[in-house]
Amino acid sequence: MNRNSRWKLARSNWDMYALLIPGLIFLLLFKYTPMYGVVIAFQDFNIFSGIKGSEWVGLDQFQKLVHSDDFYQVLTNTLLISLYKIIILFPIPIVVALLLNEVRKMLFKRAIQTIIYLPHFLSWVVISGLFVTLLSPTDGLVNQIITAFGGKPLSFLQDNSLFRSVVVFTAGWKEVGWNAIIFIAAIAGIDQEQYEAASIDGAGRIRKMISITLPGIMPTIVLMFILRIGSLLEAGTEQILTMYNPLVYDSGDVIGTFVYRMGLGQQDYSFSTAVGLFNSLVGFILIISGNMLSKKFLKRSIW
Amino acid sequence: MHSKKINEYALDTVIYVILIALGLSTLVPFITVLSKSVSEEWAITSGKVNLLPVGFQLDTLQYVVTNHQFLHAMLISVLVAVIGTLASLLITAMTAYPLSKRELPGMGIVIVLFVFTMMFNGGIIPNYLLIRQLNLIDNLGSLVLPGLISVFNMLVIKSYFESLPQSLEESAKLDGARNFTILFRIMLPLSGPVLATIGLFYAVYYWNDYFNPMLYINSTSLKPLQLYLQDIVMNADSSSFKMSAEDMMNVPAEGVRAATVIASTIPILLVYPFLQKYFIKGVLIGSVKG
Repeated sequence: MNRNSRWKLARSNWDMYALLIPGLIFLLLFKYTPMYGVVIAFQDFNIFSGIKGSEWVGLDQFQKLVHSDDFYQVLTNTLLISLYKIIILFPIPIVVALLLNEVRKMLFKRAIQTIIYLPHFLSWVVISGLFVTLLSPTDGLVNQIITAFGGKPLSFLQDNSLFRSVVVFTAGWKEVGWNAIIFIAAIAGIDQEQYEAASIDGAGRIRKMISITLPGIMPTIVLMFILRIGSLLEAGTEQILTMYNPLVYDSGDVIGTFVYRMGLGQQDYSFSTAVGLFNSLVGFILIISGNMLSKKFLKRSIW
Repeated sequence: MHSKKINEYALDTVIYVILIALGLSTLVPFITVLSKSVSEEWAITSGKVNLLPVGFQLDTLQYVVTNHQFLHAMLISVLVAVIGTLASLLITAMTAYPLSKRELPGMGIVIVLFVFTMMFNGGIIPNYLLIRQLNLIDNLGSLVLPGLISVFNMLVIKSYFESLPQSLEESAKLDGARNFTILFRIMLPLSGPVLATIGLFYAVYYWNDYFNPMLYINSTSLKPLQLYLQDIVMNADSSSFKMSAEDMMNVPAEGVRAATVIASTIPILLVYPFLQKYFIKGVLIGSVKG
């Protein structure tokens, strides 16, 4: 198509461009303006002087970050919580999908699915509320069971050695069922003839699960895994914000919560933005490399 | 042959036991909180309430749901969720439609601009400063405007539009219809399932949003339910709950906390069964493509 006819096409569809206006305003104002705002990471930002009036300090904030013990603690916490979540919580939805696939009684299958999807629709605040009650040191069910077996009650949400486990467990409780949906869908897409052929060869159900179902959903598993790695530095800011307290900052403070505390709590806007920028950059690099790997090995890209 | 059958039974038993255990572990937190919200005060404080309620009373629940602050926070949340969902659906669909026409000049670039924001963002502080600059602190607009378009949702609607037959639009154009009319009269009415699903995702987002209100809302009179709930849940003493001395005597903090959690969950529990058929479809629309 030459230039002239492209222009003609655009002009005759002028109202398409008009439809785009609210979306573009949103994009520029709420997405790209904050991206421009990250320049305050290179300033000693003063809220009264604004971006134009504040002093430029180059990489000072990043030097402060590199020399900050708090930052290393926070980075360690973020990576640990995130890695635990990946290692422990990534395989479970796959297993759940495989097991659900073996259930022949539709009513039972649907009942279990309905129940395990439900927590996905609750907010982190509600879930924290549920678990604060369940884990209460004085009258929570879990501690009543522990004491019934002669153990000592544990303060799950105040103890640095337990807090991360609670974070990982509750994240699993919320999302395992929901995350299984995608694998259930992938299993439904497997060619049924393969199963029939395997039956004729005398394969049992476990054999079929290992030799047909699992390889059949492997591309989906790898794709989901790459996507998951892309959000490695997201250990669950909102989740932890609703659960933690100063007693467990040592084990539970992650990049997102640290940025919030430093920035809005202590008004250290520039330093906080520098930490946030570090977070965004690493996340960006992870997603881009994940997509490249996916293109190369799966011949399939995420976007 | 016989042993094979026994093996089958054993396998089935294992599968059923695991799945039932999974189902129960999902339900137990709800059940314990529900039990505490309807148990007698003395039973809670003396640690007698395990899984099942001890005694039965609805006073605590009634106290919570008739509490002025609770109702007010609930109202704010409903308002934000309804307005936010409708506005989001409208603007997302309006944006998705032109972007589904890749042959129009410029659309490719705009898509790239949107997708880029999925991978990179300014972060908490620049966003906060923007909202402050726009004078939206302590304004409910701060809860709706920044979430108007979810790029993921927009891409789902866009790919749905792309899957609709082009001949519909062509014949409408021959009749002299403009794109604007085609979108609202033809495309949207044909997009019921996808709009319902995306509407559900937006509604859940606005209803559950805790982070934006925490950042942008300080005034008690504008606190949505999640923020109010967090005050109750995290303050072991129920000081944020304005109670008279007499109330304090009758209503245990633990019971009030449990009842507030239950009362905030009820709206979701009520609509959940009706939504289920949509969201499974929606997840599939969004994920299987590619």
